[in-house]
Amino acid sequence: MPSDTEEASQPTVNGDNVRALCDVVRELPICAVIDLLSIGVCTRCILRLFGIREHVYYRSSLSPSMLSSVLGDSTCSEKHMVDGNFRELVVCSICLGILQFTCYEDKKLVTEKESANELAVSISSLIRQQGFEIDSFSLEVSIPPIVLENDHTVWLYMKRKYESELWFQGKSISECISAKDALKISLMESLETMLGCKSNISAFRIRLTYTHCISSKTVENSVEGCHGGKRRKTGAGNGLNTVDDDIKCSGLPIEAGAVVERSFVSLQANESSECLKLPLGQSNEPCCLEFLCYRTQIYVGGRYLKYSRNVSQTCWIIDDERMGEASVEEILGSNILPLCRGDNYKFHAAGREDIDVRMLGSGRPFLLEIQNARYIPSEESVNFLETKINNLEKKLVGVKNLKLVGSQSWELMREGEAEKQKQYTALVWISRPLKDEDLQSISSLEDMHILQRTPIRVLHRRSPLEREKIIHWMRIERIVGSSQYFLLHLCTQAGTYIKEFIHGDLGRTQPSIGSILTCRAEILRLDVTDVKMECFLTE
Amino acid sequence: MNEHSVDETNNAQEQEEHKVEDPELRRLLVPNPEDLPLTPPSSVEANFVSYFAPDFMKPGHDQYIYRHANGLCVIGLAPTHVAFKDEGGITTIDFNVGKSDRSGIKVTGKRKKNAQHLESNSALCKVCSKDATYIVRCCVKGSLLEVNDRLIKQPELLNSAADREGYIAIIMPKPADWLKVKDSLLGLEEYKKLREV
Repeated sequence: MPSDTEEASQPTVNGDNVRALCDVVRELPICAVIDLLSIGVCTRCILRLFGIREHVYYRSSLSPSMLSSVLGDSTCSEKHMVDGNFRELVVCSICLGILQFTCYEDKKLVTEKESANELAVSISSLIRQQGFEIDSFSLEVSIPPIVLENDHTVWLYMKRKYESELWFQGKSISECISAKDALKISLMESLETMLGCKSNISAFRIRLTYTHCISSKTVENSVEGCHGGKRRKTGAGNGLNTVDDDIKCSGLPIEAGAVVERSFVSLQANESSECLKLPLGQSNEPCCLEFLCYRTQIYVGGRYLKYSRNVSQTCWIIDDERMGEASVEEILGSNILPLCRGDNYKFHAAGREDIDVRMLGSGRPFLLEIQNARYIPSEESVNFLETKINNLEKKLVGVKNLKLVGSQSWELMREGEAEKQKQYTALVWISRPLKDEDLQSISSLEDMHILQRTPIRVLHRRSPLEREKIIHWMRIERIVGSSQYFLLHLCTQAGTYIKEFIHGDLGRTQPSIGSILTCRAEILRLDVTDVKMECFLTE
Repeated sequence: MNEHSVDETNNAQEQEEHKVEDPELRRLLVPNPEDLPLTPPSSVEANFVSYFAPDFMKPGHDQYIYRHANGLCVIGLAPTHVAFKDEGGITTIDFNVGKSDRSGIKVTGKRKKNAQHLESNSALCKVCSKDATYIVRCCVKGSLLEVNDRLIKQPELLNSAADREGYIAIIMPKPADWLKVKDSLLGLEEYKKLREV
């Protein structure tokens, strides 16, 4: 975008703009301009058909009468046409009002004769109304396929008429500015000024969706005309599918282009027929505009601690009955979401623990995905939130190293999730008194391979398999005042079923603590004390 | 590089100790011994509800059904099964019953492909003492998920731990089938009363 920054006062700028516009129009082939005006093409469409890209020319518009006076000064031989054939321009026969800022919004016809300014005002007030705080934005525009088709039709019309003239030599349709780009050019400066920030590849999106009631039908018809060409679904009537397609190829309307390409072919094939008739004389129906603003998801990451044996990791409801008194997901989500003022959140974690297992020590990495955040929290406010969560009245859940993170944290968290080591502390009871030799025999086992059949408690929903897992190390810690209870600290490969490793699951995990100590072993409590991952370990 | 190796040494030392240093974490981990029961409930007692089928199809053929909350049923020989009264107890187990070898079928996948659908009176296996052979049956209609093939090599588990490592099989009944059969089974207390154990 040219850095055309005239800091002069508004009226002067407008005056200058109009003058500049007049100058540039005068340099165009007058007869062609008059011709285009007479078939109902708006000024901005004329400019873009001639490949004029500089935004200064798109700022102001010229009414047909003004244009006529501009052209009237010239020495065109067809001068008489200027006064005779100019209708008061209603809706442009190419852009269907899009570049005239005339369209239906909420079923009301809005005419913005002046410029893009009023649309920019509506957009920026919507952004304010929705409470967004932004430091950049990107503009997505979706335009009905009929506009592209019109481009081609008019181009062909010009080609047929002016092919032999010198100014047309070497011109190609690819030099034209698309209506979509012309709209962006027209809007951008006002938007940047009003929003106080630059357009960028931004997580904050402004989406303008133009639809036209006859657009899809027309394209379908003309495509059907092209000898059984396989028709792409263009969204019968409602224009919704068309919109989606256009959004996907934001900026470059490849899909819609393909349709037009085909209709273009059909037009060429029927060049002699009536196909080239422009929608002249008919009063064009303006497009409908819907605009919305949203922010792509942001992520708050950290490590969570779970202090309760009655809190699940994610919201767990069976037959309308909640399991546990709360969930980590809901506690974190309900506290973090209001800070970012988002619409919704999604909770992701690196693995999980059973509801009756606490998550202590290092905590477990998690990501909270916030949808459509109105506000991107500062480091201070995130730190403040961490303190707040850690001081909630019910101390069910805690957080560590809470921070705003990029989407690459997603991979970081998933990476090595399967291989990571985890450390646990289990409260174990055995059917005989603990002996000193037991402490040695247990700690002497290093990287012990065990075979686990799918535990009975999950066998109903998981595949019956025998999996090999590694117990990296184990230590017994005696409990003062008890001979049959002890703490077992152990570090294992991810995916090891610890409870089954202790009690043996009817001999289906081998070896088990019971089989190693040749007695019955029972587990009373289990806590995860470390999830050995790099992810979110430091602030 | 240097820093890295220092880290590794630290890790090695940590691994050597594996002591929980953080006092807050210790406080959370170490229980008060006074709060602990003298004997905790076993994992079977804690996770399963016990049912019994006394004299199942034949006098003295007492079997247990341990039902997990997820619906799966572990089938085995009740302590009062007549086979245990034979001298030397059970010596062999044979999963070859009639047409099929129950231990030869590999059930796979979440949908439990290949699982045999058995009736409550279908035979699971034969257990033999020195003097006699007894047929062990399903007791509940359902899919046979696994048999305890470890018993083939270690049949003594039947005598020493029939209620744990000596289980016979795991059956997955349909909820409706379970409800039908449930009423015909005895609870733990009724069973104890009946057998005076």
